[in-house]
Amino acid sequence: MQPDRYHGFLFNPADLSEDVDIDPGRRREILYFVASMDGWTHWQVLELPWNASADQARNAYREKAKVFHPDRYPGQRLGSFRARLERIFRRLTEARDVLGDEGTRAAYARRTAPPEEVARAAARQIENDARSRERRARMARGNPMVSRVARVRELLERGRRAMEEERYADASRDFLTASAMDPTATEARTLAEQARRKASAGKARDLWEKARAAELQHDLDRAQFLAEAAAEAEPGEPRYGVYVARVALQRGALETARFRAEAAVRSAPTLATAHEVLGEILAVQGDASGAKRALERALELDEGLTGARDRLRKLRWSFLR
Amino acid sequence: MNENEPFIGIDLGTTNSVVATVIDGVPRVIASRTGQTLTPSVVAVARNGKRLVGHMAKRQSITNAENTAYAAKRLIGRRWGAPEVEDARKVLPYDLVPGPEGNDIRAMLGGRAFSIPEVSALVLAELKADAEAFFGRRVTKAVITVPAYFNDGQRKATKDAGRIAGLEVVRIINEPTSAALAYGFGKQMEKKVVVFDLGGGTFDVSILDVGKSVYDVIAVGGDTYLGGEDFDRRVIDWLVFSFAQEHEAIDLRQDKMALQRLRDAAEHAKIELSEGRQSAIHLPFLASGPEGKAALHLDRQLSREKLEDLTQDLVDKTISVADRTLRDAGVRTSQIGEVLLVGGMTRMPRVQQAVKSYFGREPSRGVHPEEVVALGAAIQAHALLHPQKGKEVLLLDVTPQNLGIMVVGGYFATIIPRNTTVPTSQSHMFSTVQDDQTAVRIAVLQGASDKAMENELLGEFVLDGIRPARRGEVEIEVTFDISADGIVGVSARDSATGTRQSITVTATSGLTETEMRRILEENLDEMLTRRQVGDFERLRDRTRAVIAEIESLSPAVKEALARSRFGKDAVLRAEDVVGRARNAIAAQDLQQMIAVEEQLDRALQLFKGLAGGTPPGGKGP
Repeated sequence: MQPDRYHGFLFNPADLSEDVDIDPGRRREILYFVASMDGWTHWQVLELPWNASADQARNAYREKAKVFHPDRYPGQRLGSFRARLERIFRRLTEARDVLGDEGTRAAYARRTAPPEEVARAAARQIENDARSRERRARMARGNPMVSRVARVRELLERGRRAMEEERYADASRDFLTASAMDPTATEARTLAEQARRKASAGKARDLWEKARAAELQHDLDRAQFLAEAAAEAEPGEPRYGVYVARVALQRGALETARFRAEAAVRSAPTLATAHEVLGEILAVQGDASGAKRALERALELDEGLTGARDRLRKLRWSFLR
Repeated sequence: MNENEPFIGIDLGTTNSVVATVIDGVPRVIASRTGQTLTPSVVAVARNGKRLVGHMAKRQSITNAENTAYAAKRLIGRRWGAPEVEDARKVLPYDLVPGPEGNDIRAMLGGRAFSIPEVSALVLAELKADAEAFFGRRVTKAVITVPAYFNDGQRKATKDAGRIAGLEVVRIINEPTSAALAYGFGKQMEKKVVVFDLGGGTFDVSILDVGKSVYDVIAVGGDTYLGGEDFDRRVIDWLVFSFAQEHEAIDLRQDKMALQRLRDAAEHAKIELSEGRQSAIHLPFLASGPEGKAALHLDRQLSREKLEDLTQDLVDKTISVADRTLRDAGVRTSQIGEVLLVGGMTRMPRVQQAVKSYFGREPSRGVHPEEVVALGAAIQAHALLHPQKGKEVLLLDVTPQNLGIMVVGGYFATIIPRNTTVPTSQSHMFSTVQDDQTAVRIAVLQGASDKAMENELLGEFVLDGIRPARRGEVEIEVTFDISADGIVGVSARDSATGTRQSITVTATSGLTETEMRRILEENLDEMLTRRQVGDFERLRDRTRAVIAEIESLSPAVKEALARSRFGKDAVLRAEDVVGRARNAIAAQDLQQMIAVEEQLDRALQLFKGLAGGTPPGGKGP
């Protein structure tokens, strides 16, 4: 028993000096218990840690009863302490009745759980859920009848997750596998197409960025090669074609440049930069009227294209001269 | 408190009773003055008006059946008109009448109405006298056992019986708990124990969690009307029925003497069949023949199989009660560490077999099924009166039945549920339902039914003198408590003012306080005269024995003193004391005998010392 056990607790001197046959230490124990027990949890009453077992509760109860049961003071004068002992015994019994039964004990433990225990339990729960999902999947794979369906579902799920994380190549692979395993799954096919498109768009963008980097380092050969690859990867995007034309123009590969520019203008007639670059190529090739037409068209679509405006002015100049 | 004050534990049984004590830390049974350990719980009033108890009463029961009360335990604390009582009236040879209040039962013996506690008190007084003969001094403190399933009324009545017998009942404890206590005494047990107690009239099952000298009862179950008597009755009915078939419908039950002979024979046969496989029942001249023909004899063989056949449903019932009790406790048979068999009926092989197959384990032997309960009571008395460091035991018992009140619609509302550890208490709020209502009536009941009328009414409590106020304004807090004896108490207070509310108790099945006082006074007179005679005889015999011993030592003492110059006057004084003791015996003077008793003892001690060669060392008498 620690000496500061009753720290801050005031004993009534009258109680301590009552003429009864109980030693002072035990008196303090009784008085302290009676005064505190209504505010205590059942765990505290039996001096148990939170979530102690039902067996532990029963044992603790028996030990406490040995101290506080009125029968343990036979033939002694107890005075006002008899009623106190009886109240303590009732409180002990109440705690035992709750904690000594597995059903009520578990419910009480949940109700009285300290916050860190609640958090720990929640974490465990999530972990358990994930584990049980995996287990279900594993079991499903073991069964050939179920495994195909389960596998398709699993692939779709994984593919969607990959989509969300913008790993379009992975997603596309999963969706394609799924639609191969189950040709009736139209959803898998559309998803596969979407993913494939997104995947090539991403790839094209990558290539384009690399091409831009090469251009900045004046490695125009490599820039054109990469830009063409990007345009191949995403043929639906005319901007890559425009970019290829521009790089080719800088390199002086006018045939390639013109082919790309014309293709871009065909596939995206409203794209101002496509007209612009075509105009510049034609101007270099000496087709001034063709260039003038293309540049005027570009400025019609986008007035802010200052390069086109300058080039057009120069063309007019040469024409007048 | 006097360290050596004697105390006893009493197993007040339906058919037999046992008294025990603890001497030098060892529990032991006290044999009766005639040397037997079992005293039949039988009381009779002989033709000459003398009261007979125990073996004496049982011996004359055939010739005096209508004045011989047995199995009083089946009636104690019961209400007149209860089905068990109606049942008993049909088979008991003595008459039962209602008490003056119409609530309790009186037994008519020798033309006088005895309350049932008085009948039991006579048995207790006999055991008390046996204990006093054993100790050679007065015994007043006792622990008495009752079946665990006894309700409040039955416990109170048993306590009353103790009071009437001149005993201070320190505690009423449950028989199975007591048996477990005796079984566990001196062992370091730590396990769950089931006590299967099938006695003469009652059946109890208790489940205890025993650990480090604490006996914590988890659940009790039972039937206060199932026991050896019922097994006997099956045999009697079988005999009566077959006799009627043989002899043109002679109903032996009409003849009280014949019935008593049948009863003895049935019990005897049943006991014999615990050992043997066949028992012969031979009752010559049992009934007179029709129209002056020769008297009729009964001659039959009862086999063990037949007995088992006749009583199979009773055995099944015990097992189903045990099963229910285990469920209540939330304990599986596999968790049980020990099964104790208590009560004479557990000697029946079929009962042992049923217990064994239900629990899946061999029940414990090594306890004497008839004595173990009294020994446990003695151990508890010892613990309550003379605690010893390191040998403490603590009993934590439970209440066997739901305690509750009657609520609107005749329903039963539980306030303290069964298997609650005692002592315990519970409060309940009552409020007035009318303006200026001055009294509230509360019917307190015990039992398992939802309907109030199907439970045992313990009493009606009237809270009166309530302060006048608008309805619902007065709230009275009624506290129900159950003591360690299992006895119910009710107190009430006005929750607003805190004043105690007076309570009047009516309609209990027990004796009223005034009646109790009258009985105590009557008994006191009777016992005083009896005690005088008894004490005188006992003291006379003892004094004679001491004198004889002193005289036998006398030659050796004289020889020893011849070589010494000490102690001559002491011998003279001793001779004087012996002379006075002789005179007292001759004059039959009890007071004088008491006066010289101590001096005589000292003289004997002195003589023993001198004769043994040890000089008295100056310590004269």
